[in-house]
Amino acid sequence: MADEHPAILLKKKRKRLITEGLKTNCAELIRLLSDMLDAYFCEVYEKSIVGPTMRIERNPYALVALGGYGRREECVQSDVDLLFLFDRNVPENGEALIREIIYPLWDIGVTVGHATRSIDESLELAATDLDTFTAMLDSRLICGMSPLFSTFMERFRREVILPNQDRWIETIVKSCRERRSRFGDSAYLLEPNIKEGVGSLRDYHTFRWMAMILSEVRDIRDLEYYGYVSSREYGRLIDALNWLWIVRNHLHDIAGRKCDRLYFEYQPRVARRLGFIEGKNGQPVEQMLSKVHSAMEWLNQLVQIGIREIDANRSSSRNPRSVTKTTSSDIYADRGTLHFSTSEAIVRHPVLLIRIFEESAKQGLPLCIDARRLVQEFLYLVNEAFLRMPGALKAFESILMASRVEVNVLEEMASSGMLERLIPEFTSIRDRIQYDRYHLFSVDAHSLKTVQAIKSFGAEQTKEWCSLCAELYRDISSHRKWLLWAALLHDIGKGVQSDNHSRKGAEIARSILNRLGYRKRDIDTVAFLIEHHLLLIKTATRRDINDEEVAITCGRTVNNVERLKMLYLLTVADSMSTGPKAWNEWTAALLRDLFFKVLNIVERKELAGYQVVRDMARKKAQLFDAAAGRIDRNELERIYGWMSPRYLLYAEIPQILEHVDLYRGLESRPFIWRIQTDVDTSTRTVTICARDRPGLFSKIAGVLTLNGMNILNAQVFTWRNNTALDIFHVSPPVDAYFEGERWMRAERNLEAALKEQLDLPAAIAEKMASYGSLPPPGDRRPPRVKVDNTESSFFTIIEVFSDDFPGLLFWVTDAIFRLRLDIWLAKISTKVDQILDVFYVRDFDGQKADAPEQVEEIQKTILDTLDCIMKKGGKS
Amino acid sequence: MKKIEAIIKPFKLDDVKEALNELGIQGMTVSEVKGYGRQKGHKEIYRGAEYIVDFIPKIKIEVVVEDGMVEQTIERICTAAKTGKLGDGKIFVVPIEQVIRVRTGERGKDAI
Repeated sequence: MADEHPAILLKKKRKRLITEGLKTNCAELIRLLSDMLDAYFCEVYEKSIVGPTMRIERNPYALVALGGYGRREECVQSDVDLLFLFDRNVPENGEALIREIIYPLWDIGVTVGHATRSIDESLELAATDLDTFTAMLDSRLICGMSPLFSTFMERFRREVILPNQDRWIETIVKSCRERRSRFGDSAYLLEPNIKEGVGSLRDYHTFRWMAMILSEVRDIRDLEYYGYVSSREYGRLIDALNWLWIVRNHLHDIAGRKCDRLYFEYQPRVARRLGFIEGKNGQPVEQMLSKVHSAMEWLNQLVQIGIREIDANRSSSRNPRSVTKTTSSDIYADRGTLHFSTSEAIVRHPVLLIRIFEESAKQGLPLCIDARRLVQEFLYLVNEAFLRMPGALKAFESILMASRVEVNVLEEMASSGMLERLIPEFTSIRDRIQYDRYHLFSVDAHSLKTVQAIKSFGAEQTKEWCSLCAELYRDISSHRKWLLWAALLHDIGKGVQSDNHSRKGAEIARSILNRLGYRKRDIDTVAFLIEHHLLLIKTATRRDINDEEVAITCGRTVNNVERLKMLYLLTVADSMSTGPKAWNEWTAALLRDLFFKVLNIVERKELAGYQVVRDMARKKAQLFDAAAGRIDRNELERIYGWMSPRYLLYAEIPQILEHVDLYRGLESRPFIWRIQTDVDTSTRTVTICARDRPGLFSKIAGVLTLNGMNILNAQVFTWRNNTALDIFHVSPPVDAYFEGERWMRAERNLEAALKEQLDLPAAIAEKMASYGSLPPPGDRRPPRVKVDNTESSFFTIIEVFSDDFPGLLFWVTDAIFRLRLDIWLAKISTKVDQILDVFYVRDFDGQKADAPEQVEEIQKTILDTLDCIMKKGGKS
Repeated sequence: MKKIEAIIKPFKLDDVKEALNELGIQGMTVSEVKGYGRQKGHKEIYRGAEYIVDFIPKIKIEVVVEDGMVEQTIERICTAAKTGKLGDGKIFVVPIEQVIRVRTGERGKDAI
């Protein structure tokens, strides 16, 4: 055993240490691994055969650890960077030394990078290459000639660092920015890179390097000593780093290589090893990612503020102070950041804690690092009653509504802990991760992003890519506050367990806003938006948006134009802030299409609106009451499901019952009708139930005309199961004696016409010729035809105004049939001798006829038909 | 082997996916696409600004099956995707020369 090479021993000891360290999730593992390597190098240095010859030749050397190893941060699969530092020149037998010390490490699978350089060479290279420079910043003597290392460090500081402090800082900041933009892609949010990403260990290194350049920082503890972090921040920094190192060690071990990105495939195993179990905080992976994000977000803030602060301090030595006052005498702006005048002022006026953020939002200036620290120190003054202090809520509102986007003040408030103190409910969604490829951000970050996205609708550049959002945002300007509150709180329900986070969220928001003393009306608006924030996107992507009923159902839930517009903006902002899988041009097109359809319905108030919704509920109850005992409730419920909203709106209860009756008797027949003599008039009501088919209406009208029944008014409906329900009021034939026979003949005619065995146009033309009753042309007003495509998103509406004459309705509907249009709904009314026909039509494919040439053709065909009939005095 | 490419209405995706799963088809490629056929686009006007929907959002599903499965697959897709209205979509069947599973190098029907 004693003869075993130190490398073999190292391999065994390392394996044991790693196993044990990972099992206990030991944060010290990285230092223990470094120390173990140190021990190896010391031992081989002592036992070296080549080494002493160098001493004899008066060219002694020092063994120096660089980079991560220099920082004593050696992870399971990290490289080991070594420098063999010589005083003057590298001796010839340097190679032999390497063979002796390094090769055994390669044999046991440790990746070692080494360099042999003299002091001069090292300094020269460090002065020109950033990677060498930073590696040397972290250098540490392992063994060998310590005076050599001291000289090297002293010269490094004096000759390389100090003369170019500014340039080094700039270079490091620049490379940091480049790295962050390279690894800042949103995909890294799902699979974070712990070493290189935004908020990664590299960010901490960057911060540390800058501190080392500016001060004599040698160790992480010195960061606090030199005032780069407060004592509280130091504690948090250590926690964050320890956590990331533990995760990274497991990742290295599981991947079996130097893998620094937490890929999906590794996440479940890492989470399990870290001891997360499924619970009310979500799946193990979600809990682990949540902690990783929290640590990385904190490091991200640290490096950002650090860079800002170091920049400010450097420029302050050049620029004179430029203090400007703010609206509060205890807060001032200086060189681009905000400061408290004294900390005592905060104790006297705790409201300053929010006032400084208000100033930040107003002026677009960040808080200086000391002000941030003071906010954190005095957070104990802030509780959920804080916003009820005079001026506090107003300050918060102006932060929420601030249109400047260069400083994200809400995010700053969240990261300083202020937001959670003001709205404790926010704690429950902090760093909460949803483990899928859809949600990129933690719930709290997503909420703040949503607020920011809504504000961006007010920005000038939004007009280019989403003029509709910009337009709508202007429309609802008086409601912006409520929309922004809704955006801030829309996912608050995700923090607690429930089967419906939207409803739960609305409930929580209500209690928050109640506490803040808002009016019920406004609270209702916010709660509504939160409860329904998924309505539009779910409907657009999961329902047939070309079905009018879908739009009507949506419209009836919203019932209000302002609310609909706000809901649309919230939906867009919410989707945009979720991730690229949730928002793209494709989804945007679906959503916008639905929005316009629902807007149309809500604006017209015909099919949606509070009144309509109330009336419809009442009507349904009345219908079921009236049918009780006659029609089985379940069967009625089934048939009720087929009735279109327009039918339910316009058909009266006795008519509906009549239709249900007829429908149950229809069976396989093409049509069934019932003729009733109206009690106090001499007219007849014909109620028809038929399988719908193009041209049905014109055939019925034609048959009635053919048999001498004059149509006074008519209503035509279509159920969703393609059943046509028509109601005609007609005056009976003059010859009352044979009325019964007439109706029988009409029924036979209709059967024949539906079988295409009766040429109705010819038959009617012949019949008309026998009337010859049209008024002379001079007394007639010319007929008019109006085609409307704006009233409804689903139908083209044709209105025909004309003097009445027998057969008119037949000729008009026949013309519509020849235009290959299907009549879905019609209202025919006669006023003295003028008739007004309204038809809701679609083409045989179910589309509106809205192309300009189609509109023109409709008008022309109907007018030509009427013109022709009138000229011939009813003869076609 | 044939590739079956189906263009369907977005809200029918789950139904079609389920129907294909029942057939034992495990893998498919789904894309969000836009286009038009007989179902044409339209325009909306809001405050004077025109919002034109010229291409209609659809879902494209691609599956590769053995020849013997083609008819069943088509039938399932049709049943599941049908609403009876315009814009229900189209199915294209394309011959496939070869399929290779990248990981194992398997070819032909083993790689489907």
